[in-house]
Amino acid sequence: MFKQLDPLLHSELRLAIMSILISVEEADFVYLKEQTKSTSGNLSVQIDKLSEAGYIEVERGFAGKRTRTVCKITEVGIKAFEEYVESLKGYLNL
Amino acid sequence: MELITRMIKNTQQKLEKGNGLPFLIWGYTTVLVSLLVWYLFSTSGNPAWNWLWFLIPAIGFPTMMWNLRKQEKGVKTYIDRIIGYVWLVFGIGGFVVSASSIFLWNFPILFVVILMMASGTAITGLIIKFKPIIISGFAGILLSFLCLIVKGYSSILIFALIFLVMMVIPGHILNFKGKKHV
Repeated sequence: MFKQLDPLLHSELRLAIMSILISVEEADFVYLKEQTKSTSGNLSVQIDKLSEAGYIEVERGFAGKRTRTVCKITEVGIKAFEEYVESLKGYLNL
Repeated sequence: MELITRMIKNTQQKLEKGNGLPFLIWGYTTVLVSLLVWYLFSTSGNPAWNWLWFLIPAIGFPTMMWNLRKQEKGVKTYIDRIIGYVWLVFGIGGFVVSASSIFLWNFPILFVVILMMASGTAITGLIIKFKPIIISGFAGILLSFLCLIVKGYSSILIFALIFLVMMVIPGHILNFKGKKHV
């Protein structure tokens, strides 16, 4: 019996964001944009969705005169990501 | 699965793009201040010139802060945090031991400071898996004993020379490799 895949993580960009954040302490918006090769608008929307679900924490601050958005994965996010990978393994027979 | 692996791998590659600037900042500051103290102390014989040692944190800390702001790389990894803690501990330890040496005569402060900073360097090298830093750290640990053997003003010159070998040279190598990877 296949486990259902978390619909929030079953989107390419959101999964990419979560994959980056799971392997670092924190990453800012510019870094995420570079790594995922996404547009600012799309990235911003997906970050908000992950944040609303409690998967990531978003801190908006300043770096000198520029605004800086820093994202960090939460405990809930780590658990959801691990479950997603486990379910995926079931599909792939790993 | 491929996407997850690629994203995680990208962040790991980022770690290898090390930056030698902190080593260069502390290395050059220490070498220059040591030479200044050696020159003024040895020509005048006045021990008051030893207060100039405090120029090292006075120059090093603001320069490091400026560097951290300028080099904002957008991501903070676990390795960044661990290295930060290593140097926080060795930095506070080194400062306390240096400050206390003012009140304790015949205390082999140069030896102790090199031993501590060389240990920090070797640990950093092992964490970032970068051979020149590992070698220079362990070389520093061994060379620190020279400061126990050599007495008088010359021990300050030995101190400067060890910092040159232990921090400045590997710092330049790390910077060079980092630039090549970008």
